[in-house]
Amino acid sequence: MFANLVHYGRLYLRLEAQYIKARMNYRVDFIVSSIGMIFSNIASLAVFWVLFHTIPHLAGWTFEEILFIYGFYLLAVSPAQIFFDHIWQLRYHLMEGTFIKYYFRPLNMMFYYMSEMVDIKGFAQVVLGGAVIAYASTQLGLTWTAGRIGLMILTLFSASLVVIAILVIASCAAFWTLQSYSILALAFRLREFAQYPTTIFDGFFRFLFTYIIPIGFIAFYPSQLMLRPQEASWLIYISPVVGIALFALAYLVWSVGVNSYSGTGS
Amino acid sequence: MAIIGVKNLSKHFKVLNRHEGLLGAARDLFSTDYRLVKAVDDISFQIEPGEIVGYIGPNGAGKSTTIKMMTGILKPTEGKIEVNGNVPFKNRQKNAQNMGVIFGQRTQLWWDLPVIESFKLLKEIYRVDQETYDHQMGMFNELADLKALYPQTVRSLSLGQRMLCDITASFLHNPKIVFLDEPTIGLDISIKARIRELIKELNRTHNTTIILTTHDIGDVEALCSRIIIIDQGHILYDGDIKRVNQLFGAYRTLRVQVRPYKGEQTIDQVRQTLVERYGEDRDFTVRSREMGWINITFRQDEMPLLEVLNYAMSRLPIRDVQIVELALEGVIRRIYEGALQ
Ligand SMILES: Nc1ncnc2c1ncn2[C@@H]1O[C@H](COP(=O)(O)OP(=O)(O)O)[C@@H](O)[C@H]1O
Ligand SMILES: [Mg+2]
Repeated sequence: MFANLVHYGRLYLRLEAQYIKARMNYRVDFIVSSIGMIFSNIASLAVFWVLFHTIPHLAGWTFEEILFIYGFYLLAVSPAQIFFDHIWQLRYHLMEGTFIKYYFRPLNMMFYYMSEMVDIKGFAQVVLGGAVIAYASTQLGLTWTAGRIGLMILTLFSASLVVIAILVIASCAAFWTLQSYSILALAFRLREFAQYPTTIFDGFFRFLFTYIIPIGFIAFYPSQLMLRPQEASWLIYISPVVGIALFALAYLVWSVGVNSYSGTGS
Repeated sequence: MAIIGVKNLSKHFKVLNRHEGLLGAARDLFSTDYRLVKAVDDISFQIEPGEIVGYIGPNGAGKSTTIKMMTGILKPTEGKIEVNGNVPFKNRQKNAQNMGVIFGQRTQLWWDLPVIESFKLLKEIYRVDQETYDHQMGMFNELADLKALYPQTVRSLSLGQRMLCDITASFLHNPKIVFLDEPTIGLDISIKARIRELIKELNRTHNTTIILTTHDIGDVEALCSRIIIIDQGHILYDGDIKRVNQLFGAYRTLRVQVRPYKGEQTIDQVRQTLVERYGEDRDFTVRSREMGWINITFRQDEMPLLEVLNYAMSRLPIRDVQIVELALEGVIRRIYEGALQ
């Protein structure tokens, strides 16, 4: 088991090192896409700033608090973006029949599939998210005690799993239907709601985003715990369970998809 | 002990009868209007270690489907498979460790990486030790002379170069069995010859069992002593290639271009010339299927190819000649017509 983990770890580092080296041959590509990423995030921040210029509070949350949630959101979505970026190509591989090669190696198929791509600009996003959180917490006078840091790491870990799971489950629709793109696009849109306090939504959506498609766990509930622990719902304490359970479900859906895929005739 | 055992194996696909238009698409969502495609239907065979078996048949015969079941991608609808003591669908990863696979033109190497990096990654994936790795790479170099390709990215290789790399890569971890599904499709004659040579040597040096599917009877003639012919999911023939050869491979087609070409008149002229030499009752035909080219089909054992060629050249104003490889489709049609019984 441990030897296996070491094997996979080494293999992953090796693959990614090679992959990044290859991407560096398209350096312009990398720089342009990173700049694009930073600008689109700055645009989002600008929207917040304009919004809070006209209204001082959003459902009772101040500008700095919203910034904190946004920073948390950026960090939470980064692992999915960096390590699971290849999932976006799944439907092409299935349609073209090129998915078949992932069955031929003595490797876990999800690992092998995902290892073929890593989104480097996601690392720039981590830096940006970290900076936003640092700024917001300074403004809010938040002190980073060891307990708070531990809590941050734990909730971030759970939140990342939630993001990854939603992305994987939505993509796996491609195993069964040719119309999977609309499902993936919908999941991507929904994910964006995670940047806002779940409390701005009314009954139905709040229920939906808490219990059915738990995007509230991506940024809002964990931030609530950091910023206003007295208001935090008990739900946040089970967030690691939610993250792990959802990821397990995603892995199950992936496995069923992989086993039921019948390949395109050739 | 057989290394592959297949018994009463079937794979049936349920295919939705699709309807047209938007309304049709909506209907399809809830449709139960399926048609059953019996891609593989009750086949059985055994393969011994070290054999090279040609698994042949026309398009849509069920070859790839059988290979997908033997490699653990597809779950059989019915029947049993054992590969190397494993049930492929249940032990995919374990099976993969002792297996190499090539599927048509889809490379399994890393598209954006230099060729040599793919080999290094495979070394890591299959946990090949350094000594074996060096030995295998040395052998590949001797057989295929690939060193010049190592620094190039896989993306930049020609189809033929890529196939050479893909095939050697599938042997890197010294697997017990290698499945080659259409390894020569779309390649030109000279690279085909190199690939055949390579496969033959790789089989010889490590006694690797090889299952080869192809459209090209030339591949089979060069490599296999045993063939399995499949059509519409059924096995039509399983046995020694020599027997098939005696019955069908004996036919050869020589294509000639005669100038000036005057249609039927020229065709008759060719026929008469051959009759003068071989007599009326010999089993040969002279036809034209394409302007300017005349096809002479005859039995190699009655009329040696070179003799026919020399004779025709000495008697007719021949501008150009081609020797046609016997098309597999033709062999199979003859088998259908009952020539094997
Ligand atoms: N995934 C699939 N779904 C439905 N039908 C399929 C599928 N794969 C193959 N078939 C059908 O099964 C038959 C055999 O296909 P295949 O094994 O690819 O043939 P071959 O490799 O001999 O050309 C064909 O009629 C093909 O259309
Ligand atoms: Mg095929």
